[in-house]
Amino acid sequence: MLKKGDRIIIISVSALIIISSALLFFTKSGGKMVTVKENNELIYKGSLYENKVVELKGNTVEIKGGAVTVTQADCKNQICVNHRAITKKGESIICLPNKVIAEIE
Amino acid sequence: MAKKVALYGILTSLALIFGYIESLFSLSFIAPGIKLGIANSVALLLLCFKDFKGALLVNITRILLSALLFSTPFSLVFSLTAGIISVVIMKPLSGIKSVSVVGFSIAGAAVHNLVQLTVASLIFGRAVWYYLPFLLVSALISGGIIGALSLIIFKRIK
Repeated sequence: MLKKGDRIIIISVSALIIISSALLFFTKSGGKMVTVKENNELIYKGSLYENKVVELKGNTVEIKGGAVTVTQADCKNQICVNHRAITKKGESIICLPNKVIAEIE
Repeated sequence: MAKKVALYGILTSLALIFGYIESLFSLSFIAPGIKLGIANSVALLLLCFKDFKGALLVNITRILLSALLFSTPFSLVFSLTAGIISVVIMKPLSGIKSVSVVGFSIAGAAVHNLVQLTVASLIFGRAVWYYLPFLLVSALISGGIIGALSLIIFKRIK
């Protein structure tokens, strides 16, 4: 049922799949970056896909499985701790009392 | 002329019904936006009969109507650009003797997904390219299935 031209098309699409998966695999770490700033000072910058716990003066920021959460804060309102995990580019969690910003860029 | 208008009308409504049936069972659990593309078998069949204009016309009408009926104007941007470009790409391929409808169906599906990703990346940013391998695999499978289906139908009605 398959003709020669069909096979060429199938092979080239398969080649595209392999190439794009390979590119995806190698550029993954260079994708989304997480920055943590305290008092407008850069404390941590790293990949979203690299698990890491960042300890700050009053907060703890956890990067795990492609999501960022603030697990602990010494302030009263706990807004940042209750904030849902952020996963997308441009999202951020802000702790106003401690002037901490965790952002995905 | 009148006969053609009637034929295209029937084929467009057939494609619309296919699209509707498909919208009833979503395959989005595999990856967002993945679908079989049964509606495209109508355009594929017209290409089998070397009717490029008809294929383009039926596809554009179907996409416009299904956007009005079942989805949002926003998704129209995606489906219309991809729908037009994939038919345009499939035209020269359908003219090659050693390429059957299965082949240009797969190529059309792959181009369709590539165009949609390009449009999506203009709107949502580069991150959407992570879907490319998944979408290409789905193009290979669904394009193959729909192409084989069209081949069977073409052989029956030829």
